Amino acid sequence: MTEMDRTLRSMVKDFKMPSIDANATVKEAIIRMTDKEDYALLVPRQDPHDAYGIVTKRDIVYKVIAEAKDPGKVKVKDIMSKPLVILTSLDLDVRWVAKAMADSGVSIIAVFDKGDFYGFVTSTCIIEAIYYSEKRIKLDDQANYVSC
Amino acid sequence: MELRDILGKPPTVVLKADMTALDAITAMVENKVRSVLIDRDDAQDAYGIITTRDIINDVIAHGLEPAQVRLRDVCSKPLVVANNLDIDLRWVAKKMANEGVARLAVFEGGDLKCIVSDVDILKAVAEELKGEGGKGSGRGKK
Repeated sequence: MTEMDRTLRSMVKDFKMPSIDANATVKEAIIRMTDKEDYALLVPRQDPHDAYGIVTKRDIVYKVIAEAKDPGKVKVKDIMSKPLVILTSLDLDVRWVAKAMADSGVSIIAVFDKGDFYGFVTSTCIIEAIYYSEKRIKLDDQANYVSC
Repeated sequence: MELRDILGKPPTVVLKADMTALDAITAMVENKVRSVLIDRDDAQDAYGIITTRDIINDVIAHGLEPAQVRLRDVCSKPLVVANNLDIDLRWVAKKMANEGVARLAVFEGGDLKCIVSDVDILKAVAEELKGEGGKGSGRGKK
């Protein structure tokens, strides 16, 4: 067995991203991020014609703190990224997932399967997927030393 | 709040420039860090850094094998440096924004003291915000 599964399907995490309202203040976003150590928050849509947004630590550091704006006054909707960067083909190789991230300059991509939300893939997911697939190859190479 | 208020410990995960991207990936996952410092070859050399973003953008996205790529070819070098510890956090954040990075190397008297990240800034700001909101007029010092 040498072919490793390195498709998007194998990397997506079906985690629930914590969310925050578009009208919440950046102050609330900062406190929520640091309390839970989740540095990306999903901004739900207002109606079916609206798009999802996302606000990350980078948005806050670059657009609010660096500009000396008051986090209590700036709204999430003023600094969030919207719409999300999306991939829809679960069979995509890790290489193209990485390329999509590099091209769009993001580290989180939302994954949809046939129109339905499937999960998120982050830069950490990719790094971990590579780590575990390389580790698996190593184990396969010395299979006779592995007892389990 | 100033840069000196958010200083951490010197980086512990340090790799050599002729190690591979796979070594960096391994170090990241096993130590649960998102960046690894690349050591200098000699006193005239500069430190480098490799982050998950570098690996994704410059290795994986190009279809390269991580085990075949040397860190010296993909790391960011020299580091983006801050050496004025009295600088306000606002300017630390602005420096990150200007350089498009999430980490700054803090040097004091020629020695690498630590790496500060956007998360360190966010945590400091969060503490400040909680201080002023939670306890009425009990404003945090500084």
